[in-house]
Amino acid sequence: MLIALAAVPVLIAVAVKLSSRPAAPGRGPLFLDRITQNGLFVAVTALVVCVPLFLPLTVGVVAGDTIAGEANLGTLRYLLLAPAGRIRLLLVKYAGAVAFCFAATATVAASGALAGVVLFPVGPVTLLSGDTVSVGESALRSLLIAAYITVSLLGLSAIGLLISTFTDVPVGAMAATIVLSVVSQVLDNLPQLEWLHPWLFSHYWLGFADLLRQPISWTSFGENALLQAGYIAVCGALAYAKFSNKDVLS
Amino acid sequence: MARTRQRWLPALLIPLALAIAVLFGSVQAGASVSLPPKTAEEILAMIARTEVRALSGTVQQTAELGLPEVPTSGPGIAPGAVSALEFLTGSHTARLYVDGPLRARLQVLDRMAERDVVINGGDAWFYNSRDNSATHLTAPVKPTVPDKHEPPMLPPEMTAPDMPTPEAIAGRFLAAVDASTEVTAAGSSTVAGRSAYSLVLNPRSAETLVDSVTINVDSETGLPLAVDVRANGQAEPAYSLAYTQLDLSTPDAGLFNFTPPPGATVTEKVLPVKPVPSMALPSAPVPDHVRPAPDVRGPGASVTGKGWDSVISLPAGSAPAELTSNPQLSQALQPVGGGRALTTSLLNVLILDDGRVFAGMVPLERLQSAAAAQ
Repeated sequence: MLIALAAVPVLIAVAVKLSSRPAAPGRGPLFLDRITQNGLFVAVTALVVCVPLFLPLTVGVVAGDTIAGEANLGTLRYLLLAPAGRIRLLLVKYAGAVAFCFAATATVAASGALAGVVLFPVGPVTLLSGDTVSVGESALRSLLIAAYITVSLLGLSAIGLLISTFTDVPVGAMAATIVLSVVSQVLDNLPQLEWLHPWLFSHYWLGFADLLRQPISWTSFGENALLQAGYIAVCGALAYAKFSNKDVLS
Repeated sequence: MARTRQRWLPALLIPLALAIAVLFGSVQAGASVSLPPKTAEEILAMIARTEVRALSGTVQQTAELGLPEVPTSGPGIAPGAVSALEFLTGSHTARLYVDGPLRARLQVLDRMAERDVVINGGDAWFYNSRDNSATHLTAPVKPTVPDKHEPPMLPPEMTAPDMPTPEAIAGRFLAAVDASTEVTAAGSSTVAGRSAYSLVLNPRSAETLVDSVTINVDSETGLPLAVDVRANGQAEPAYSLAYTQLDLSTPDAGLFNFTPPPGATVTEKVLPVKPVPSMALPSAPVPDHVRPAPDVRGPGASVTGKGWDSVISLPAGSAPAELTSNPQLSQALQPVGGGRALTTSLLNVLILDDGRVFAGMVPLERLQSAAAAQ
């Protein structure tokens, strides 16, 4: 899955390199038109493309597989035979999902940066505010964006873990998690449901653009972290309750 | 069984605790603070005395005028096609940095994009990140008669107080206060974490659509922090502009030095030329229209009535082209007898078939009778 994710920025970079017609400014994903001028934008563009679907997809697969996958393979009861306790198993499984969130985001960012450096010239980066920053600082900001997206995906991982405790069919848990992430994003785009928007776990997913402003706006980073922490707390508590009462038969 | 229940306990308690925390937080945010009471005159004097020259803050503008929401992204929306209507619907957030009267920066924070206005002495830069375009305005030798639809950012008004701050809007309303307005003090509130006095302007006229204007004034500095305009028969404020964050320290000087990024399309203009339409917006439409009539005068415009129920009329041919040619605006226009009308909860504009335009914060019928009278 990481390889598939790494392919996205490479595809973008190659497609932009091969197309003779320069992309019109303002069309397509963020910064697509500026890739030819500065390769460092490949990473950001790739992240913008991946956040709505590809990243939730892979995170949904990993998070949905955590408990249900073990149950399906019949290995869950052997894991529980060890004197480690169910909370610990749950925590370790969640930590694994979190590690994947980070690995996935970092993969996209790193492969994007690499593809951009190889195929396009590299120079000072223009921020949304119109100011330019050095290559070093832009790398720092890329790291911050990767951190932001990792945090953004924590809530979804917790939801996946919760669903995973309810079923023995991993595919069901994966599909339900991914569907939830899509539903949440659709709801987030309906202006009629504005009161609901701040509570949707996908509401701040694209807020990492705030890290590309000068000076950096930390508001959405903080609000996003708080929201995801809330989802982790609620889903974690429910997952613990369900899992500790579960009759593990397989 | 008891054990099972015990295990479900945290699952119940944690969401409950979070819900309580959220509720408590929102109650606390809305709680009024206790300040020594002041009369309306004292508050007005505070505003007049305010000496805030530097600040950095975040302002949020919300307009609920009853217009359909304009999509700002998605298929079919050309980049840069945001129109005057955009700032008449929905909510917008902007960051504002001011250092003295000559240096200011406004950043309209769009989703995945940003529009910047940087004013530094006689130079003004408009930058739009969506299409990476920049417009550089330099001050001309002598300003000419400002057109009604140009932003109040032209010299000699090309100064920081004319940024769309709560202070600027409040200033316009207060400047128009006369015998037709009842000014009262209305307790205290909290805006952007600062305690504030509330000042309410009530039009004495029953003809106007405006129900009341509330201005929240910082209790320490006398700086207006928020302006709410309420329309008759609407619970939500029709228009509100408020700080959500405010810091009264001097912002970093580097913020006001703008160099267009490499690859940007730069347009050089010498004033008075209308800047890029989308860039003109942060300050232009709402404040221009919302403020009471007297200072809205274009060539040939005439004002009938006084105070809140005044009607501005423009003779044929002088209507700004944007009113008739803008496709988004045309969609919002409704056909009425003798022409078309833009009706909102706060402002009505009547465009007659013969080209005359009538506008005012009054019901449509009054515009029609004013049109018939001429």
